[in-house]
Amino acid sequence: MLAAESVLLHQTVSAPLHKPLNDPKRRFEQLVLPHFDAAYNLARWLTRNDHDAQDVVQEAVLRAYRFFDGLRGEAKPWLLSIVRNTFLTWLQINRPADTVGLDDGLIDLIPSDEDGPEVLAARSFDRRMLNEAIAGLPVQFREVLILRELEDLSYKDIARIADVPIGTVMSRLARARRLLAESLGAISNISGTQVHK
Amino acid sequence: MTREEANRLLHAYIDGELDAVKSLELEAHLAGNPSVRAACERLREMSAAIRDKADYHAAPAWLEERVRAAIPAEPKDGHARPAWWGWLKPAGSFAAVADWLRPAASFAAVALVTWVVALGVMRPSEDERITQDVLASHVRATLSSRFYDVASSDQHTVKPWLSARLAFSPPVADLSASDFELVGGRLDYIGAQPVAVLVYKRRQHMIDVFLWPAEAQKAEQTLTRDGFNIERFARNGMSFWIVSDLNRDELDDLARLLAERSAAP
Repeated sequence: MLAAESVLLHQTVSAPLHKPLNDPKRRFEQLVLPHFDAAYNLARWLTRNDHDAQDVVQEAVLRAYRFFDGLRGEAKPWLLSIVRNTFLTWLQINRPADTVGLDDGLIDLIPSDEDGPEVLAARSFDRRMLNEAIAGLPVQFREVLILRELEDLSYKDIARIADVPIGTVMSRLARARRLLAESLGAISNISGTQVHK
Repeated sequence: MTREEANRLLHAYIDGELDAVKSLELEAHLAGNPSVRAACERLREMSAAIRDKADYHAAPAWLEERVRAAIPAEPKDGHARPAWWGWLKPAGSFAAVADWLRPAASFAAVALVTWVVALGVMRPSEDERITQDVLASHVRATLSSRFYDVASSDQHTVKPWLSARLAFSPPVADLSASDFELVGGRLDYIGAQPVAVLVYKRRQHMIDVFLWPAEAQKAEQTLTRDGFNIERFARNGMSFWIVSDLNRDELDDLARLLAERSAAP
């Protein structure tokens, strides 16, 4: 009975026409893989090296494919949230010491003493200094900064990816920029003294 | 708007995340406060500098190729699906035949899995084999009325007799004070090894206590099989299996007494 129905179905509906719609791999390639670079960029900034980023991205994309049914809304923040979660798992296995205090939100409760964003003019910094300063930020500030400035994502999408409220995204972003300014200030002071010697 | 609030909102403002009302309020504040306006400009410059100068790590082309190749056809069970399933996918003029075959193949797969699982279930576990062995030994002894090779109520007779014939020395307890009369001992072969059997008696009920050295401590367990009560436990490196038609409560008493007597050397 089942077999006969199946044959009938295939004779009436032409297989090549409906195949792309029903082919999950094809759909995944069309919807999700255009964001492969974004996935790699985030993984690379989180792990801070190529080799680990490659592992994290490969695992994350295969995981995303397994949970492809769960995709709601836009693919980019969805994929990036899986990259982030895969990174956290990777971190627990490979760098357990780095996970202390990572996700508990305690870091957001530490008051910052400045009353204003007295950040330095960033024009004068070269690429290397800027990249090193960003790489040196604590991971929860680094990730919101990368998602905002390099992926140009909205606070709402960043909140979804980092799994925190929008208010926390805002405060972490402010903190990230202040820490970055301080770090760049320190670097410029050091290079300044070196020049004078 | 206070200076603190203005500073707090600057980030959302330069990120385009501030609503229209708040944006207007902030712009009014900026107009009257050059220092906050300067801070706002520096923030914009920093944001622009990051976008301009920070590395955007595009994925290497080979990585995307590798990952693409690793993606299976089906998301759910791509890893578990056996390779032969792929042969049954529609291909050219064989598509209809292949589709007809697909339900048949899945039926065959289910049948195969069921058969393999049934084999696993039907193959008796080690415990089950021992249970059958001790039960058979007890029933044989009952049928032939040959309960013991050495008939003695004296533990100091039974123990050396068993020790002389086994590679281990079984603990033999005198439980006559608790109304379990030692009547003798015998040898048997359980779980592919020679074991000691102590035979106790309460009223007209014969009780076999099978003993052999056990490497691993097993959880205490009681079961009933063919009308016989079976209890097993391990103490002090010895495995105890007790089989009798005696009621469960009294058999529990015996098990407890034996466990107490062999708790420590």
